[in-house]
Amino acid sequence: MMPPIDPHGLSAMPAPYWFVQFFKALGFTLHMVPMNLWYAGLLLAMVLHLCGSEHGRRFSGRLMTQMPVLVALGINFGIVPLLFVQVAYYKAFYSATILTAWFWLAIVGLLIPAYYGVYAYALGLRNEQAGLASWRKAAGWGAAMLFILIGFLFANGWSLMTNVGAWSRLWENHSVGGATLGTALNVADRTFWPRWLLMFGLALMTTAAWLVVDAAWFARKENETYRQWASSFAWKLHTAGAIWFAAAGSWYVFGAWQAGLRASMSTGWLHVLMIATALAPGLPWILMALGRKQAPRRATALGIALAQLGVLAVNATSRQVVQNLELKAYLDVAAIREEVQVSPLILFLAVFVAGLGVIGWVIAQAVKASATEPGQSGV
Amino acid sequence: MHYPWWYVPYVTAPMLIAVISVVHVLVSHYAVGGGLFLAVETGKAYRSGDREYLAYLKRHGRFFILLTVVFGAITGVGIWWTIGLASPLATEVLIRTFVFGWAIEWVFFFVEITAAFVFYYYWGRLAEKTHVAIGWIYAMAAWISLVLITGITAFMLNPGDWRPGDSFWKAFLNPQFIPQTIARTGGALLLSSLYVYLHASLTIRDGRLRDLIEQRSARPALLGAALVTAGGLSWYGFLPELAQAVLVRAAALNVFMGLIFALTAAVFVLLYLGPYRNPGWLSPGFALALFLFGIAVFSIGEFVREAVRKPYIIYNVVLGNQVLPGDVFGSEAVPGLQKTGYLEGGIWTREYVKQHYPGALDGDRIDEKRLLALPHSDRIALGEVLFQYHCNDCHAIHQGYSAVGPLIRGRSPAMIRAVIDDLHGAHFFMPPWAGTPEEAELITNYLAEIAPPRPEGMFPLPAVQEAP
Repeated sequence: MMPPIDPHGLSAMPAPYWFVQFFKALGFTLHMVPMNLWYAGLLLAMVLHLCGSEHGRRFSGRLMTQMPVLVALGINFGIVPLLFVQVAYYKAFYSATILTAWFWLAIVGLLIPAYYGVYAYALGLRNEQAGLASWRKAAGWGAAMLFILIGFLFANGWSLMTNVGAWSRLWENHSVGGATLGTALNVADRTFWPRWLLMFGLALMTTAAWLVVDAAWFARKENETYRQWASSFAWKLHTAGAIWFAAAGSWYVFGAWQAGLRASMSTGWLHVLMIATALAPGLPWILMALGRKQAPRRATALGIALAQLGVLAVNATSRQVVQNLELKAYLDVAAIREEVQVSPLILFLAVFVAGLGVIGWVIAQAVKASATEPGQSGV
Repeated sequence: MHYPWWYVPYVTAPMLIAVISVVHVLVSHYAVGGGLFLAVETGKAYRSGDREYLAYLKRHGRFFILLTVVFGAITGVGIWWTIGLASPLATEVLIRTFVFGWAIEWVFFFVEITAAFVFYYYWGRLAEKTHVAIGWIYAMAAWISLVLITGITAFMLNPGDWRPGDSFWKAFLNPQFIPQTIARTGGALLLSSLYVYLHASLTIRDGRLRDLIEQRSARPALLGAALVTAGGLSWYGFLPELAQAVLVRAAALNVFMGLIFALTAAVFVLLYLGPYRNPGWLSPGFALALFLFGIAVFSIGEFVREAVRKPYIIYNVVLGNQVLPGDVFGSEAVPGLQKTGYLEGGIWTREYVKQHYPGALDGDRIDEKRLLALPHSDRIALGEVLFQYHCNDCHAIHQGYSAVGPLIRGRSPAMIRAVIDDLHGAHFFMPPWAGTPEEAELITNYLAEIAPPRPEGMFPLPAVQEAP
């Protein structure tokens, strides 16, 4: 078999290993929050609008009105892990994406109509009191389908990145004159399908948590029965998501992992991490179960949000660990020499903190202005 | 030589970068200049109590967000996507060198989208001063993003005396940094005015308001045009000698440069005679003409900026065909490949030989002499591999972008071989041949096979001694 990654050609990393791993996992955790909402939440919003109860349609409208901002945030947060994966894993990342180039590039091409579809739907909700035009509904459904397809393509790219052993076969079957056509798909990989489905389970749970947070913090104009419905429906949705997550996760761990990987993940602190990843959804589920018969209180909603964020964080950490283990035979990221760019790193951290301060101030102004009726100042 | 090469028929993979980049800059510059326009003009409208103008600015804000936050942001990510696919080695070097530049730019992008959404969605709810302040936060964050990205793109054209291992700051503060920052800042001002004119001409019927907008945006547009001109001239002044020579040598680039100057002059004259001196001229047709001239200048300018880097992707650091010009980073450099063989030097090319022609191996290594002992059809097949990895970044095969077929039409194998042996001597804007003489023979076999015959009716060639 070919050695597809040359370990001698690795150049020094400009940032410490821990820094790259931390920001990659942090960025992916932050990315997953809005990404989960467009991945499963958008489809759920379409279904609820089509055949949901009155409250279900109300939630659908609320989520879709928020969706343009959520998509923008998801794209923005996605940049961080994408940047740091290229710092440390470039030898694996570029080769895998080049083998699937047209599908990888299609993500960008699909994201544009998907995002405009979201906007078409959301603007219709704002402007058309009589009801949504058919084409706007179609745009919403189209966006939901496109985001699921985008998820498929992402899962394809990321799973191929660690499925180094398959590269040679895919390249051989999709090439001309030794150059890849970029038309390979990693669907024969046993890890691919459960990985893709696993994220949908996580996304259902995140959507459930968002429903509670929205009802407690942002839906001040909604009545009490809506809020009670939100608590109850969120718990059911989270339950469905947790079952889905457990099923896909079991398939992934026990049906798709190589024995060596499973053995590595069953020793020492990695075993603790794996168990924590499996059990983490229990905490937000318990919090939701306890409050499912009453309108959510802000403190409870905050607790649920933090617990679900914890679920995503522990998942991101586990994925990072598994990625490193799967690649280790070809690329030991921890062993790459470091030549840290100290002053740019310090500048980045300073800008990061200052930027968060500015963003905090801007959001604080928005929160303050939320109490104001439109038109009370300016136009 | 570490990555598989992505074959894109007709267009070539790197041309996809050019297409997406050009589309992106037409929106990204508006994202910068348009933010400044909204901040300045919203403040002015508040101060003068002009409610109609404020209402227009809000409508423009929606158009601005729909275009820049969706299309602009995603095509920006699209460039990143495409450079990793089409130029992985160059992207690897850029990411390693500028990771914190990009990370800082991400922070400003985060600030931008937060400020943009709050500025637009809380219109009418925010206190006037706060509203304008958030507009300015957006504008400043967007401009700093421009500065940061310009430092990286400018580095690709002229990294000065930076060499691998040198500092981030030496790379970022390169000779092209200030000229390109001036040009792009001017471009943002100019292009945003053209967007405003087009949008206003199509959506406003009130003559007073349209004249006001025309007048208000004329000075920034003229200032932008002046900055583009100044930045463009200093861009030329700080080009490496090779890039200047490429600009002069390539007939197409000559035509493009002429077009840039002519169209810039046309935009300048139209701005002066129209919005500046005669505000009533702003009809949809006039605004559309201005806009089309403007985006033509930008598109051609971006294409020229990319084209003059030949044969490099990063000047003096990474060649267009994903190899390194000197003995930097070790195994992927031209001198080493000329010694060990291009096929042997690349992971995927070496694997191709191992899978298809195990007889050409001596142990685990490719034996160059055995390559020439292969049957003619196999030599052509290996020549195709060499072409894909060594040449396809700039040349399509039979038809398409700078297709090699028409370029070598009617040439004999001996003539082709002579060019291969002295590739960068024959054409200074091409990379050196990075393989062994045996591999030169293989690619000659392939090119001779695909070269169309000399057209009928041309002056006949003298009889030539064919290469064996």
